[in-house]
Amino acid sequence: MRIIVHNAKCQGHARCSAQAPSIFTLDDEGYVLRGDINVAQGDELLASRAVRSCPERALEVDSSSAARFDPAAIQPKAGEA
Amino acid sequence: MAINPVPDHVPPEMVRDFSLFTSPGMPPTPNGDPHAAVACAHDGPPIFYSPYNTQDGRGTWVITRAADQRKVLQDTETFSSHRSIFSSVLGETWPTIPLELDPPAHGAFRSLLSPLLSPKRVTALEPAVRERAITLIDGITASGTSCDVMKDFAFPFTVGIFLRFLGLPDQGLDTFVGWAKDLLHGNDVERPVAARKIVAFIDELANNRRKDPVDDLMTFIVQAQVEGRRLTDDEIRGIGVLVFVAGLDTVAAAIGFDLAYLARNIKDQELLRSEPDRIVLATEELLRAYPPIQLIRVATKDIDFEGAPIRKGDYVSCATMIANRDPEEFESPNTVDLAREHNRHAAFGYGPHRCLGSHLARREIVIGLEEWLARLPTFRIKEGTAPITCGGHVFGIENLILDWS
Ligand code: HEM
Ligand code: SF4
Repeated sequence: MRIIVHNAKCQGHARCSAQAPSIFTLDDEGYVLRGDINVAQGDELLASRAVRSCPERALEVDSSSAARFDPAAIQPKAGEA
Repeated sequence: MAINPVPDHVPPEMVRDFSLFTSPGMPPTPNGDPHAAVACAHDGPPIFYSPYNTQDGRGTWVITRAADQRKVLQDTETFSSHRSIFSSVLGETWPTIPLELDPPAHGAFRSLLSPLLSPKRVTALEPAVRERAITLIDGITASGTSCDVMKDFAFPFTVGIFLRFLGLPDQGLDTFVGWAKDLLHGNDVERPVAARKIVAFIDELANNRRKDPVDDLMTFIVQAQVEGRRLTDDEIRGIGVLVFVAGLDTVAAAIGFDLAYLARNIKDQELLRSEPDRIVLATEELLRAYPPIQLIRVATKDIDFEGAPIRKGDYVSCATMIANRDPEEFESPNTVDLAREHNRHAAFGYGPHRCLGSHLARREIVIGLEEWLARLPTFRIKEGTAPITCGGHVFGIENLILDWS
């Protein structure tokens, strides 16, 4: 799975790295590093959780790669976007 | 309540009798729940006009949906932060920094300050934060089976950490808390007096640090450079005043509301006590349910925003406590679910002004709750007492007498 990082939207909430420190690295000011992220197979659930904890919606699962991933594992709860 | 004239461009059907200052539950209320009280904003249209919704009695648009607040707060070109909330109390117009600057000027000051409060920095501060919590709690448990959490723990804990960060001695604590209280919750006479004291204090501190530098925040600011130049006196004052006010009572209020919730919900209290690993996630939910701040923006141009005819100069309110109860963003928003996942709450705001102190504030709350739950048996609100809560620009809780006898 690939995660698209919209750096212009990142405001340094650090929620992603709090959820998944091994996947999301922050710079010295606390903003996520530039560049999209390739997630290792076993880390996909953790990564998707981190994506959905970003208050600015700066992270996005690349849907072309998400298609290869079992969506049942990240099914949103009712009422959530 | 003073009813202000509603501006002509506001359609009468968009006006609602709602105010974070005067609606039911907003003035000081024993056993109040001001956060639940404002959740009623979601019973009506997603955006409406409140004729009386700032400390100085101005009308504002009220943005209730989290998604709309995100749009407003991310669009700094249309919705400016330059509104001199602090200095206008003194009849002046200088901005607090970085809070009341817009990009691009905002960015330089933000970058100057953010390494000081980055997640890395906060991790380094953690042992000192924990030590302070333990010392205070051990003192409390040694002297009885009841205390006022606000006076005996929340303020000395959070303000103490913060004074150390600023490089100020602990002895000032009560004085500073008094100024903050007058500034945020005082009347028209108390507010300017408090504001003037804070300005005089910051100016003097800056002067002292210029003469005798030490290793603290104010020294860093007077020596700092942005865009290749030293800061002006107004800029130094703007930063000093903001950092002083921003950290003074926000974290204490959060801890107060959180412990009040746990004192009233014994099952949740026992859950966190027996499984402390849950506290980090639970803290996010408590920040969602009990956030203290209303954000204000000023429209820089006419815009029709999601059906609201906002005109240049209008005030726009993004109250975090309203966004955090948005049923479109959160399932069962009025239920506190300490295991809630995907919790994109608005407690620290959205957009480029996202709270710079958020990493510190989170650690303080988590550590405060961890040590409090580990060191005290089941606690409840002491019989015959009632915590007094209030709404306003910053929601607060005045007293919280707990009993664990
Ligand atoms: C639970 C505690 C806290 C809450 C809920 C909180 C909330 C907020 C919010 C919502 C904003 C955005 C305001 C806006 O966009 O107009 C903000 C800004 C800010 N906060 Fe906090 N805050 C807390 C604690 C702190 C602490 C402890 C500090 C300092 C050590 C701090 C420093 C700041 C600063 C410097 C800004 C301005 C950032 C900027 O304009 O770029 N805050 N805070
Ligand atoms: S959670 Fe979002 S805003 Fe925060 S650091 Fe990560 S990407 Fe940036």
